[in-house]
Amino acid sequence: MMLQQLLNGMALGMAYALIAVGYTLVFGILRLVNFSHGAVYAFGAHMVVFFIGMNFGLLPAVVFGILLSGLLGVLIDKIALNPLRKKKSPNISALITTIGVSYIIQNLLVLGFGSGRKSFPKLIETRSIMIGDAQITNIQLLMLVVSVVLFLSLTVLVKYTKIGLAMRAVEQHETNAALMGIPTSFIISFTFFLGGLTAAIASVLIGSHYEIVYPTMGMMIGLKAFSAAVLGGIGVFYGSIVGGLLIGLTEALAATWFGAEYRDSVAFIVLILVLILRPMGLFGKKGLNKV
Amino acid sequence: MKKLRSVLSLILVASMVLALLSSCTAGADNDEDSPIKIAVAFPMTGDQAEYGQSFLLAAQIKVDEWNAKGGVLGRAIELVSYDDKNSSEEAATIAQKIVSTPDIVGVLGHFSSGVSMVAAPIYEENQVIEISNTASHPDYSSIGDYIFRNNAVISNEFEVIESLLTEDLKLSKVGIVAIKTDWGTTAGAIAADMIRNNDALTLVGHEEVVEGSDDYSLVIAKLKEAGAEAVISVGMYALIAPLARQYKAVDPDIQILGLSNSYAQQLIELGGEATEGIIFPVSFYSDPQNPEIKRFVDAYVESFGSEPSALAAQAYDSIGILLEAIKANGNLDRPSLRDTLNNITYPGITGETKFDAIGDATKNYTKLIVKDGNFVPYEN
Repeated sequence: MMLQQLLNGMALGMAYALIAVGYTLVFGILRLVNFSHGAVYAFGAHMVVFFIGMNFGLLPAVVFGILLSGLLGVLIDKIALNPLRKKKSPNISALITTIGVSYIIQNLLVLGFGSGRKSFPKLIETRSIMIGDAQITNIQLLMLVVSVVLFLSLTVLVKYTKIGLAMRAVEQHETNAALMGIPTSFIISFTFFLGGLTAAIASVLIGSHYEIVYPTMGMMIGLKAFSAAVLGGIGVFYGSIVGGLLIGLTEALAATWFGAEYRDSVAFIVLILVLILRPMGLFGKKGLNKV
Repeated sequence: MKKLRSVLSLILVASMVLALLSSCTAGADNDEDSPIKIAVAFPMTGDQAEYGQSFLLAAQIKVDEWNAKGGVLGRAIELVSYDDKNSSEEAATIAQKIVSTPDIVGVLGHFSSGVSMVAAPIYEENQVIEISNTASHPDYSSIGDYIFRNNAVISNEFEVIESLLTEDLKLSKVGIVAIKTDWGTTAGAIAADMIRNNDALTLVGHEEVVEGSDDYSLVIAKLKEAGAEAVISVGMYALIAPLARQYKAVDPDIQILGLSNSYAQQLIELGGEATEGIIFPVSFYSDPQNPEIKRFVDAYVESFGSEPSALAAQAYDSIGILLEAIKANGNLDRPSLRDTLNNITYPGITGETKFDAIGDATKNYTKLIVKDGNFVPYEN
């Protein structure tokens, strides 16, 4: 059973890691914890369900859903966050704004789709792969592969491309970056676009694993993913993956040893302990001004 | 200047007192033309909104039937809807609002037992009848004389499940998965006691899960390891559908048992093939043979698009029994109305309903099983 629980925990951790990448991306560039991420995540899954309902076919529906979520990310930035930046308001206002935005999105989803749980189509036929007497499904493996691919491509994008260079420049000093001729507002929008994309990719994969979507689906899992990002060192891509796995495995062990009702509390206790010992997270850089 | 200010403030205070007094008297006279009001307090937004909206609709269908016949005591009936967001804080505020509106005679609500139990003392104190069609916490109806329950007390449902396990299915190793709410914890403990006190049954695991985490693989692995043959799901369809799906993927032979509140069309839509073979007790199911039930189901489906749950049917009956009591009582005097309500026997679509001394309605159960994507009566 132990092996099965570890595999379950790993699968859970991959789900957290997928979402955590989005938190870390926006934080890494803008120094902003984007709490609307969980709502964009739910939005992405709902859009895919909507487009499938409109007979778009599975693949186009997934692509449209993901792109639309990216655009939603841009929209959030343009409508809610850009005005705050212009007024040089403190970071905490932007953070609280993203919490507000997440409630707006969730309630719009309730208006449009109802609050109930709806079934999400399977992306691929589920197959179980046996490892010893434990099993893991192919979708869970796909989640693992996608989060690693996502982490690799984002790392390459930020580190080795021109737009990545611009993103890092904005991170270091927005005004100076603008003086160097970098279109900062485009770069920031682009970052939010990427954030939205990753949220939707995560929701499509996780949605097809659990085969459930509902407007508040991003709440709890978003919070866990945020913890995973913080645990790994927010702003560091591989940190989110390690953080996600750690939280997933902790939950699995806590559920096995103490009972399922303790899994959340134990996961958060581990988070707090790590932060006491290493305030910047496991792989975080020193000197970050966290909000 | 100072004098002027004190005079002004005196006038202000006087006008406020006057306004207060006049609003009291305006409310107190139940003039013959104004409609009789019944409050409907459920979550209308948020996570559980679908339930609240379906109960409001079911209640409205009953009210429309009565209004078409000329209302009650010669007056029209009007529902006043409140949104408690399934939160205790909101419910307490709403309960205060309801008791300070004198022409509201009764309340249908609230949704979850925990929320109902926060609001109930306020209704009791102000002699407002509360009927909950959903609360199944054992302690709910004993909160007061004006607090009624038109839903199964959870222990009665477990008796049905007990006989199902020992007599029909002949399974002995039973696991419990309960949602971690006040209701889920209490109900799960009752189920655990039932299993422990029955020599033919063994409790192999009792796990609590947070609703909304959607991942039950961790508890499933534990229960499977412990050799569970049957699992009782203590939660709504939002728990049992994914639980069945995830459990059947690991152990296709598992027998999953639900409670009456898992009876909803969404269970099958959400769980798909994995819901085949789920059995649960219900006080109501939309039997097309019964004309009374068919009339309600048709009206409901026309507005809502899907079939009513047992809980919605109980909402419909709860309004029915309250209106019947008002009619039998002949006036709106609170204490006598309460006694009348406690004494009448109402033939509803969820069976004959009569409240006992503490305000619980005894329910008769049929067992349903999911077969070929439909709910059909279970026969051994």
